[in-house]
Amino acid sequence: MAKSKKTSVGRRGFLKNAAAGAAAGAAALVTTTPLLEAQTRGAGRGATPAGSVPAPTEKQLDREAGNIRPPVAARTITRPGSDLMVQTVRDLGIEFAAANPGSSFEGLQESFINYGNPPNVMPEWITALHEESAVTMAHGYAKAEGKPMLALLHGTIGIQHAAMSIYQAYYDRVPVLMIAGNDPDFIPAHTAHDMASMVRSYTKWDAEPKTLDEALVAIQRAYNEAITPPMAPTLVVISSEIQKVDSPNTKIPAYQAPRFPTIDATSAKQIAKGLVEAQNPRIAVGRLRTPEGVKRAVELAELVGACTSTTATVGPMSFPQRHPLCGPGADKSYDYTLGLEAGGAQVSITGPGLATIAAPRDTTNIGFAGILTPGRAFQGPPEKSARPMEADAEASLPLIIEEVKRQLTADQKARIQERAARHATANHDAHVAGIEQAVQRAKAGWNGVPISTARIYAELWPLIMHEDWCLASPSNFSGGHNVQLWDHNKPYSYLGGQGAGGMGYGAPASVGAALSAKAHNRFVVNVQTDGDLNYAPGVLWTAAHHKLPMLTVMHNNRAWHQEYMFVEYMAGVRGRGADRAEIGSVLRDPFIDYAKMAATYGMAGEGPITDPSKLQAALKRGVASVKRGEPYMIDVITQPR
Amino acid sequence: MKKNSIKMCWAGLCLAFLAPFTALNAQPAGRGAAAPVTNVPAPTSPVTGNAANGKALFYTYGCYACHGYNGETGARPFVGRWGNLSTEQVFIRFLRGRANVTPVVPSASMPNFGEASLPDKQAKDIYAYIRTFKSTAPDLKDIPTLNAIVESAKQGQK
Repeated sequence: MAKSKKTSVGRRGFLKNAAAGAAAGAAALVTTTPLLEAQTRGAGRGATPAGSVPAPTEKQLDREAGNIRPPVAARTITRPGSDLMVQTVRDLGIEFAAANPGSSFEGLQESFINYGNPPNVMPEWITALHEESAVTMAHGYAKAEGKPMLALLHGTIGIQHAAMSIYQAYYDRVPVLMIAGNDPDFIPAHTAHDMASMVRSYTKWDAEPKTLDEALVAIQRAYNEAITPPMAPTLVVISSEIQKVDSPNTKIPAYQAPRFPTIDATSAKQIAKGLVEAQNPRIAVGRLRTPEGVKRAVELAELVGACTSTTATVGPMSFPQRHPLCGPGADKSYDYTLGLEAGGAQVSITGPGLATIAAPRDTTNIGFAGILTPGRAFQGPPEKSARPMEADAEASLPLIIEEVKRQLTADQKARIQERAARHATANHDAHVAGIEQAVQRAKAGWNGVPISTARIYAELWPLIMHEDWCLASPSNFSGGHNVQLWDHNKPYSYLGGQGAGGMGYGAPASVGAALSAKAHNRFVVNVQTDGDLNYAPGVLWTAAHHKLPMLTVMHNNRAWHQEYMFVEYMAGVRGRGADRAEIGSVLRDPFIDYAKMAATYGMAGEGPITDPSKLQAALKRGVASVKRGEPYMIDVITQPR
Repeated sequence: MKKNSIKMCWAGLCLAFLAPFTALNAQPAGRGAAAPVTNVPAPTSPVTGNAANGKALFYTYGCYACHGYNGETGARPFVGRWGNLSTEQVFIRFLRGRANVTPVVPSASMPNFGEASLPDKQAKDIYAYIRTFKSTAPDLKDIPTLNAIVESAKQGQK
């Protein structure tokens, strides 16, 4: 949008006067009133005893709940651009907008909290204490829900605070919709000519619209780009002027849903034929886009009586782990294998990966390993499978299902039923045998002090197995005991790793998952490693403030133990001994008290728990608290792994 | 923000405690899933070190980082396996023979402990302390939680 000289000058003049006024007021305050006294007076308007805060009036409560509208002043912009942006976001089905406040999106924030009836619903404003937390919340939410939420970022500084989280979401192929405010007339250090360029190498798409009309289109496009494979974060930079422009006649453009690339009809027919005619077909299921894709994968497997593999113990949106058809089945001699976002011997349908979008976005030639170039040492053996058909498996499934239904004969259906029953029995037996092995392993160190990580997962499982639960934190640093002991049967049962292996992920991702969980009456578990929490622990306040259903159990080994082991090894290589390897890798002297930390942020909790016999009772209290709607933290002093 | 350097964890070099390769974002199939559950009796060979000294050294040298504070947990538990802990001599030979001088990537394998950094006397003290370790695990029948998990699995979908 072309800037109005008059507006710009007027605004600068206003700011100048306002700054002068504020300075004078501040000087008066400092010289005449101690700060604490001023705060107390300000809160109580002089009517309450010092140190106390008056209860809100009924009118104030109604106002906060959105039951009554704000007064309409004579000088009101009738329809600010930001109202239309909020409506656009709402029309896209975005449920939450997380942000740490910033002046560059003051117009947008005001619209989010006041526009609409009721205001602050769809999306609801979620208060974040750090942009990194805001984006990781969106990361966790999208993995649990299968769709993006919004994160707002404040200018250059907000984008840079968020950068690590954006990178993780990108590496994890998770859709996150982001809007960054840009106020070129306010604080020079908070603006730039091309702010999105700071994260362009690890976002899928960005835009900096010049008009309100362009901004509304850009928000819609950013959403579509984020949710189409390869899914990834997208960013729209919107100036404060566009947010504030009066726009009584602007209309929100009609939304066009994206088209997902599918296999063609001929391929669908051939795949269906392969599955229907096979004596023992198998379907390898990787990570699909949404819960709908999981439903379709289950439908296809049941239609053709194929046993399946799953990545449900690695991350979200895959085949239910304990479905009767999930497992090696009764006969491991498969004569036709279909891969859905996974390798398959005969056919593999895999959506386009990040490499297809990364090169043109990587204008600074960063060349992230694992995306643009193969990681040096992290390559597994090449899969023995067909070259993948580049299409979205989830969108392709209906075509295959329809073909299967068309081709199946009554005889084949009977044969399939019989085969499925054999698979179910074999998979059940394998499951029970696996559990029997797993509990033998889990009991190792059962009564040991510190508490074993296996005992945490084992004690927790019977308390939540009948709940609609979601394990939102990565479990790879705490032994991965959920993999064998728990049943990952929902698309959101386990949300998997950090994305790029960056720390500071568990708590904010769990808060994001808990946003999703609250609406569905679910229960989020966050087995929280201590080193990870300390990056941005303020997210605990967000969980408490929004009363999110999240149980945090600290895996408190008082160190970054993986790093500690690495340094020990290196000291051994150099013959210098491991007796100083703790320097820089442990969190001692002093210990961190996580129950107190939680309490500081307003979250109920207890600990440190050191006696394994007291663990179960603590977990029960935690589960009860979360079921009452209050997040809870249990600090458990644990074995290293 | 600190980049997490935990890209992978090689365990194949450790002769005593084999564990699976774990890549970035890969999920281990439960700790020790690749290792069979074993209950090898503790060695009975002579012990000449001082267990009390060994306890302090066990912590100072970070043995607990991989083997747990009780030798039963962590990346490389040894109680019930024992492997290279059959005798003092085998243990010391094991400590001295772990010299990969050019690791390309970070490794959490058993470090090398040369004579200069961990003299035989101290190694024997650590060995003496390790030999005091016993399983803290009750019989499975005495752990209701784990029995409930097995029962739940048995009653699951067929």
